[in-house]
Amino acid sequence: MAAGLLAAGALRMTWEIPLTRLLRGQELLPPRLDTGTRERIGQTSSAVALGGLRTLVATFLNLRAHTRFTEQRWGELALLFDTITDLAPRTRYYWETGSWHQAYNAASHHLNDSKLPPLRRREAWRSSIRAGRAFLERGIRNNPDDWRLHAALGFLLTDPNKVPAFGDADDCFAAAADAYRRAAEQPDALGYVRRSMLYALARIDDRQDEALALARALHAEGARNHTPTLLCLLLVLESRADPRLDTGRRAIELFGGERRAYDALCNHWRRTRERFPVDGVAAALRSIEARLGIPESESILKSPPPAPFDPDQAFGN
Amino acid sequence: MNAHVPAGTRRGGHVVRILTIAAHAFTQLARMKVFHFLALFAVVAIASNFLNLPQHEGPESAGAAVLRSIKSWSLGAMTLFSVVIAVAATALLIPKDIEDRTLYTILAKPVPRIDYLAGRLLGVLLLLFVSLLAMDLLMTAVLQVRTAIVLGEQRDMAAALGWPPDAVESLLAETRAAGPGWPLQGAVAAVFVRAAVMASIALLISTFSTSTLFTTVVGLLVYFIGHFQADARDFWLQGGEAGEGAAARLASLALALVLPDFQLFNVIDAVIEGSVVPLATLGRLVLAGGYYVVLFTLASWFIFAEKEI
Repeated sequence: MAAGLLAAGALRMTWEIPLTRLLRGQELLPPRLDTGTRERIGQTSSAVALGGLRTLVATFLNLRAHTRFTEQRWGELALLFDTITDLAPRTRYYWETGSWHQAYNAASHHLNDSKLPPLRRREAWRSSIRAGRAFLERGIRNNPDDWRLHAALGFLLTDPNKVPAFGDADDCFAAAADAYRRAAEQPDALGYVRRSMLYALARIDDRQDEALALARALHAEGARNHTPTLLCLLLVLESRADPRLDTGRRAIELFGGERRAYDALCNHWRRTRERFPVDGVAAALRSIEARLGIPESESILKSPPPAPFDPDQAFGN
Repeated sequence: MNAHVPAGTRRGGHVVRILTIAAHAFTQLARMKVFHFLALFAVVAIASNFLNLPQHEGPESAGAAVLRSIKSWSLGAMTLFSVVIAVAATALLIPKDIEDRTLYTILAKPVPRIDYLAGRLLGVLLLLFVSLLAMDLLMTAVLQVRTAIVLGEQRDMAAALGWPPDAVESLLAETRAAGPGWPLQGAVAAVFVRAAVMASIALLISTFSTSTLFTTVVGLLVYFIGHFQADARDFWLQGGEAGEGAAARLASLALALVLPDFQLFNVIDAVIEGSVVPLATLGRLVLAGGYYVVLFTLASWFIFAEKEI
């Protein structure tokens, strides 16, 4: 009988191996648990996870992660999310949440935590944001077809409070535009993703032509894309391409009224933290203020816009 | 007497005998109050719905994470219950038949031993099927109720925030996909097939085991080791590349040849994470499970046929 069992075992290898390959190809079988993950979750959870209940162990660890979050134990929280995503690599929620904890919650904690000296706080803040980005990028490598993860990366890379942590702003916005482009390539992506790609492109100095072409294409697609930000950027990009443009008249044309154009441009003028270009906006505002009869003393241009986020100032260097 | 019966009827006789023994085994197990565990499952399923466990989600998801949590808890409980029942129920049957002297009564009649084993196994499979069906219905009902609640909350939240229709529809479609549906039934089928394989292994062990406890413990060990079978197989196939010893390679080969590959049925995790098992793939999994069940049942017969009772 033993010989029969072994022979049957050899026979079934001929279909077990192709079936395993098929299931892996269809992404129905998760990658193997590495030794590090097995050690981190302990023997009992390891046995449960190996018994085909990886998502259940991930659910339990997610509860534990919530406790670590409330206790502000950021290092342990990051390790927990590494483990959780090893167990359930195709659940977007874990990638988004793990990244959010590091790039937003841990970073904000370091920004405000007065117990550390300024230099260390700044370094902890910077490394948390970078770790959040790296985590999200790992999620994207595991789930390249998930547009929401690409969009989440784009969102992080255009967050005015995070950009200084990444060094060069142009590189950061270029990476964001690329993330939004990859999100937009997915068939189920929502329409805002292409607008967000434009918002990122418009902030890169040497890609304004590309941004203008996209802004015109989006504008031509219809009212759905006629958001105040897109209309402001279209005006700015057109003004940069043609410095002789009468921006006041063009703004009224784009917004369909003096008051609407004025309100939107005032708002755009004050969005300095987000580093949007403002070419031609001052001229447009002056022109519309004259039409609306706003005295020069009450001009929006008289009040200084808020300064962009500056880590040196925030950390008291 | 059988000699006067036409061959076709004798084949029919096999089926009737197996079904009779299966029905008896099912009744016997039901009388042991095995179904009481369903009450525990009901508590797990309902508690996973109503306990507001802490989540990290923002308000925009409006409780959608709880749907994944319900599936995870429910399918996890179904896997554990079905494997434990498969092993424990099968381990009980032969010793109980010997203790009650039912086995002697059955085998004193012209009942081939394979009919007896197949009937007992079928009885356990019927028990597993009924149990999983009940758990599946409960899980689907809980998911249905909770999905409706989450959809309502998301509609209210989207209206309050003035979301555009495409964004609302995208969110609702994602939530509906996380609710009850056919993909989930693929996972339940995988749970059943894995439990069926475990029952056939427990049957094999019980043919040479000395006690119910031994069968149960060895059966559960085989279950966990079976999840490493694919690793052992890969180790054998890639052997020698890292300079492994011949003994280690032979041990891994023996493991790969004797034990079933339980990792194949881990598609359950992928379903919880939102994947869909194609029907053709599910069919191949069922065939794989069928091969294991037939193989281990035949092996049980070889041992049981020689056993002195």
